[in-house]
Amino acid sequence: MQKEIKISLPPYKVSFALFFVFILSLIRGVSVSCEIGTAMEPALAILAAAFCADTYVQEITGKRSEVWRLYPMKKKLCSVGTRLLIQEGFLLLLAAIGFCLFFLFQKPRPFSFIQPEAGSEIGQFLIFLGAMAVTIAFWSILSGTLACIFRSLWCGIGGCLLLWLMANSSFAKKVMGPRNVFSYAYRNITDTGDFSWLAGKGICIALCAAMLLLLPTLLKKRG
Amino acid sequence: MSIEINDLTVTFRNKVTAIDHASLKISDGIFGLLGENGAGKTTLMRVLTTTLAPTDGTVTLDGIQYHKKNYEKIQKQIGYLPQEIDLYPGLTVQECLEYMGSLADVPKTLCRERIEFYLEKTGLTEHRKKKMKQLSGGMKRRVGLIQALLNDPEFLIIDEPTTGLDPEERIRIRNLLVDFSEKRTVLFSTHVVEDLAATCNQLAVMKKGHFLYSGSIQNLLDHAAGYVWECTVTDPAKARDLEQKYRISSKQQAEGGIRLRILSRVKPGIDCRPASVTLEDAYMYLQNY
Repeated sequence: MQKEIKISLPPYKVSFALFFVFILSLIRGVSVSCEIGTAMEPALAILAAAFCADTYVQEITGKRSEVWRLYPMKKKLCSVGTRLLIQEGFLLLLAAIGFCLFFLFQKPRPFSFIQPEAGSEIGQFLIFLGAMAVTIAFWSILSGTLACIFRSLWCGIGGCLLLWLMANSSFAKKVMGPRNVFSYAYRNITDTGDFSWLAGKGICIALCAAMLLLLPTLLKKRG
Repeated sequence: MSIEINDLTVTFRNKVTAIDHASLKISDGIFGLLGENGAGKTTLMRVLTTTLAPTDGTVTLDGIQYHKKNYEKIQKQIGYLPQEIDLYPGLTVQECLEYMGSLADVPKTLCRERIEFYLEKTGLTEHRKKKMKQLSGGMKRRVGLIQALLNDPEFLIIDEPTTGLDPEERIRIRNLLVDFSEKRTVLFSTHVVEDLAATCNQLAVMKKGHFLYSGSIQNLLDHAAGYVWECTVTDPAKARDLEQKYRISSKQQAEGGIRLRILSRVKPGIDCRPASVTLEDAYMYLQNY
């Protein structure tokens, strides 16, 4: 595990991710606490895509893939899975830190202060964390999968960027509605009882499962 | 352990044929693989490591045919050091080897024992706590070789393992390989002819996807016996003239002038004497005549 942490979280990646969230919380204005999720979801998605694209493809760029080919599939899957979990865990922690930094720099009004029936801030924060966990998992697995298919880090990031541009638009919001991968960001923030955005997250989870099921074949054919 | 290659052909999508109907038998011990750049050595190694599927022909390892359904069985028996490998820069030597050992499914305690043994054998014990990115090219190469040995493979495939090593380290690695090759098979590809001369009994020479020669080193030397000549000339213009006319396997500034080793089937028209054949001469002779 310790070695996987060192491989998955080199100092340069940790630094750029921290810097990204710091700058985001500094420049992206929010007036109410429930807007933080709207501000952070698309940004965290693109960060996750860039952060996790090299999960496996680093074995190809490091010219270790021919040696990896000799390892048992179970071990390879275990290693790639551990790397993904470590990176996603780190990004989720970063999302939590980012949430706090928004409070620190933007000083938004607590939503419960405006709408008392909205529930506690802690509850909203936990929902935010749940939504971010799915978002981070989806974009990190997607970029890793695309990078592995094309055997290129940049194809992984580029492919995600294309999808990100399509999904993060008012057109996608209109067409996809609550089934959009950014359904949490596009939810009706004034209605805290509306959980229709969970459909989008459900789709993300299903897509994650499909991509993970594809992983052994990908490692065999493109690894 | 024996590896049999029959009528092997590898053609890439761009229609380039890297190996063209080649056949070879590799048995126990160190087997050398020589050839110019682009001869097909690395492609052959990639086929043997199951990275590349042959277009045509068959390969067997101890009777097990190279076929997708047998790959797992074959892969367990192989250790591989590719020509270029960039091991995890953020890990220390010890961590990197432990990690690769665990991926190869080597039990933890056994893995640590083997790491200890090979670090000692390759002179890396004192560098075990250094990060991979802090190592010199030669040290990285040695770590690469250790990772290939961790699963105690029956068939070790190594592509230029001595690149970047100083003379003393090269001798260490050669001796390590000779010890390791007892009752195992080592396929050793290199451009350094003297490494093969010092370690192998058998070798194959490749050129443009074919095997030009396969057999014992002594036999290869015998091929060129009587066709190597040595002479010393004082006039550089004369030396240049000889270079134009003949294949020169060595040119050296000596006390009495310029000493040349000439490869020729007939005695060159100059004052020269027959010389004993080195593996380099024999290789040059085979490539050119």
